[in-house]
Amino acid sequence: MSLIEVKNLSKHFKVLNRREGLRGSIKDLFSQDYRIVKAVEDINFDINKGEIVGYIGPNGAGKSTTIKMMTGILKPSSGILLANGIPPYSNRIQNAKKMGVVFGQRTQLWWDLPVIESFKILKNIYRVDDKTYDTQMGMFNSLIDLEKLYPVQVRTLSLGQRMLCDIAAAFLHNPKIVYLDEPTIGLDISVKAKIRAIIKELNKNQEITIILTTHDLGDVEALCNRIIIIDKGKILFDGPTQRVNQLFGSFRTLKVKIFEFNENTIPNIELAIKNKFQQSKSIHVKKSEDFWTDITFNQEETPLREVLNLVMNSFPVEDIRVVEISMENVVSQVYDGALT
Amino acid sequence: MIDTLKFYFRIYFQIEAQYIKSRMQYRDDFIISTIGMLFSSLTTVGVFWVIFDTVPELDGWSLNEIIFIYSFYLLATNPMQTLFDHFWQLRIHVLKGTFIKYYFRPLNMMFYYVSEMFDVKGIMQLFLGIALFVYSSNSLGLVWNLKQLIYLIILLLSASLVIISIMIVAASASFWIYNSFPVMDLAWRLREYAPYPMSIYKGFFQILFTYVIPIGFISFYPSQVFIRPEELTPIIFLSPAMGIIFSFIAYRVWTAGVNSYTGTGS
Amino acid sequence: MAGLAYRSGYFFTIANNLIYMGIAFYLWQSIYGSREIIRGMTFNQTFLYLSLASSIFVLFQTWSDWEIGFQINDGSIITWMIKPLNYQFSIMASALGFVLTNLLTITIPTIIFLVFVFKVTFATGPGLIFFPLALVFSFLLTSTIDYIVGITCFYTESVWGLSITKDVIITFLSGSLIPLPFFPENIRSILEFLPFQAIYHIPLNMVIEPNQPTSEYLTMIGIQLVWVIILFVLSRQYYNKAVKKLRIAGG
Repeated sequence: MSLIEVKNLSKHFKVLNRREGLRGSIKDLFSQDYRIVKAVEDINFDINKGEIVGYIGPNGAGKSTTIKMMTGILKPSSGILLANGIPPYSNRIQNAKKMGVVFGQRTQLWWDLPVIESFKILKNIYRVDDKTYDTQMGMFNSLIDLEKLYPVQVRTLSLGQRMLCDIAAAFLHNPKIVYLDEPTIGLDISVKAKIRAIIKELNKNQEITIILTTHDLGDVEALCNRIIIIDKGKILFDGPTQRVNQLFGSFRTLKVKIFEFNENTIPNIELAIKNKFQQSKSIHVKKSEDFWTDITFNQEETPLREVLNLVMNSFPVEDIRVVEISMENVVSQVYDGALT
Repeated sequence: MIDTLKFYFRIYFQIEAQYIKSRMQYRDDFIISTIGMLFSSLTTVGVFWVIFDTVPELDGWSLNEIIFIYSFYLLATNPMQTLFDHFWQLRIHVLKGTFIKYYFRPLNMMFYYVSEMFDVKGIMQLFLGIALFVYSSNSLGLVWNLKQLIYLIILLLSASLVIISIMIVAASASFWIYNSFPVMDLAWRLREYAPYPMSIYKGFFQILFTYVIPIGFISFYPSQVFIRPEELTPIIFLSPAMGIIFSFIAYRVWTAGVNSYTGTGS
Repeated sequence: MAGLAYRSGYFFTIANNLIYMGIAFYLWQSIYGSREIIRGMTFNQTFLYLSLASSIFVLFQTWSDWEIGFQINDGSIITWMIKPLNYQFSIMASALGFVLTNLLTITIPTIIFLVFVFKVTFATGPGLIFFPLALVFSFLLTSTIDYIVGITCFYTESVWGLSITKDVIITFLSGSLIPLPFFPENIRSILEFLPFQAIYHIPLNMVIEPNQPTSEYLTMIGIQLVWVIILFVLSRQYYNKAVKKLRIAGG
């Protein structure tokens, strides 16, 4: 039986339609006008022991809603959800004993206490026996040098150090599943590398299943053997990482800022690209932040310098940036059938 | 069952011991907060003193009786103040979303939430309460035997439960209302009216404060047992029942709030 | 406008105030018992006095001291100090905004209740004309005191403790909890020298005794003005000292 079973799972929210302005606020006080938001709609997947699954999608896609259902915060509106054989919502404490959670920016350690005290308290909360405790702590010491941080108060740790401690703490009681939500956000490359290393090691060592939500494709590349992409409450893709990697690893997004941006700019760019690169199916032009335009393309089809040349020669470019493909753009590519 | 209790006790002591140790670093804050709290309590006594300077008795009650009722109230409020202080911040955790962390541990959520804070200055309030209690008790010539002491403990406990329950219900409003601070403020103020003799109210207010928001049971009715034993009315024996019923209600409201929470502001 | 988005919150604040008035009503009725006048005030006057006091307290509840405290604690006060605006004035301006909202949503409904439900009677007279002016000065006084308390957070993290102490001292010594006439003579004379009674007792006195000679009222306003100036000067000096300390500490 799989560790996590999800069948036809949905979650709907009733949201008050707020009205604008002063009059609106007063009317709201008596309003019964709600709309239904389908945060998660009829999703299916099974996750097995030992997998590291990347659960990715743009903001508002339904990622955190799904995770909140799996960790026992939200009750599903319909469908089946089982973790370790039991529905998380109705068995919150039971479920919590076998799970670890790290929620990005917010620490779950005790803010004012020295790091080691948090671990000692957790030892008691999860009823970890001495032997397991010593083994785990020993492992943390060797992997990330946790000993050095023992006497330091959590509130004085740097973000990177805190993340490492939070991650270690999530694994202390040898849980079956660990949920990591944005574990590397805001961190520099060297800390990211350390975090990825410890996650990989703990998964390999103890066959702990890991579900990772992230916006950072580097995390996905380094850690996940399987990726599930979700957008607007529905699953767009569920398969091995290599496929996504193969397809998107070589993608780039060229961000350009054109002088005197107006409503014709984007259609003009699209036209120019269509004319020059007829055969290419995977170039997308999209408006991004104020006055910027994103041109996303596959370098293997259309080399960067050709795209750059076209744009520079045909348009009055004020500023440019080249970045790796973002989650939004992966998703829009997936919508357009890039992975089918 | 006993096992679970032992489990929770152990965890609680471990957490609080560490917490208190780390809070003692903030000497300044401790001193100023304690002063603020003492001033606040002493001001109430000051108000009584001025009132009794102008009239000899309040609805049939003497100054010392009023002080006795007030000290009982301080002792009954103390557990709420010291142990359940974290509820004042519930609204912030709920709005910012940091409340979800309490779902993740294999612990009862209210226990976990409550254990995060221990108000050290409450200990000073306890001393003040005891001091006033002893003073007024002596002035009134009260006699304390075993039976009286047992009554005292039961009644103090019931009163504490009533206060704690009221505050929990008020704090839980933050699960449904955006700016719920006034709700807690209201509950807190109501509690402040507890030391006044219930006999001054007629009709609507009397029913309100006895059965609906039972601040009467916080200190007035229980105090009767000691200062006017010959005038006992059946109402007074409701105290323990009130404590239990309201705890039950409070827990249900909290649970409803926790179950309906979605992790972001309302 | 942002205030109104806070749904039910305002109902509770009004309820708060009304319940206080209800309690004060019964309490003081018991105190008066069968007496007509205590220390020169009738029950009607006392009740009016205390209800207005409580309404004014709610009116002036702007949490400026907390705001300043938070800004100091999280460091954002630096951004305010860099701006060309005078910090004190900007705090007072935002406090004023709160006061106006409070006036509309809390104070006026409460006064309506006072007149129609509790059936309190007002005498009329020149005092009532001076009342709004006195309130303006009262506002200046409370916001300056809030400001001073807020700045004290430069020296300590304890916002709550300072704020509570301030509230307690002011409400007790200003006549807000017990009308000033009720205090014993010796204590009363001391209280008259403190700025707190200028915040509550002076305007309240104008309402319950509106028929005193105009010179009396002018004197009262004068006293308020004097305190406004004194406290204002104190607050500037205090701010400068505190800021100097901040600069020395390296910010």
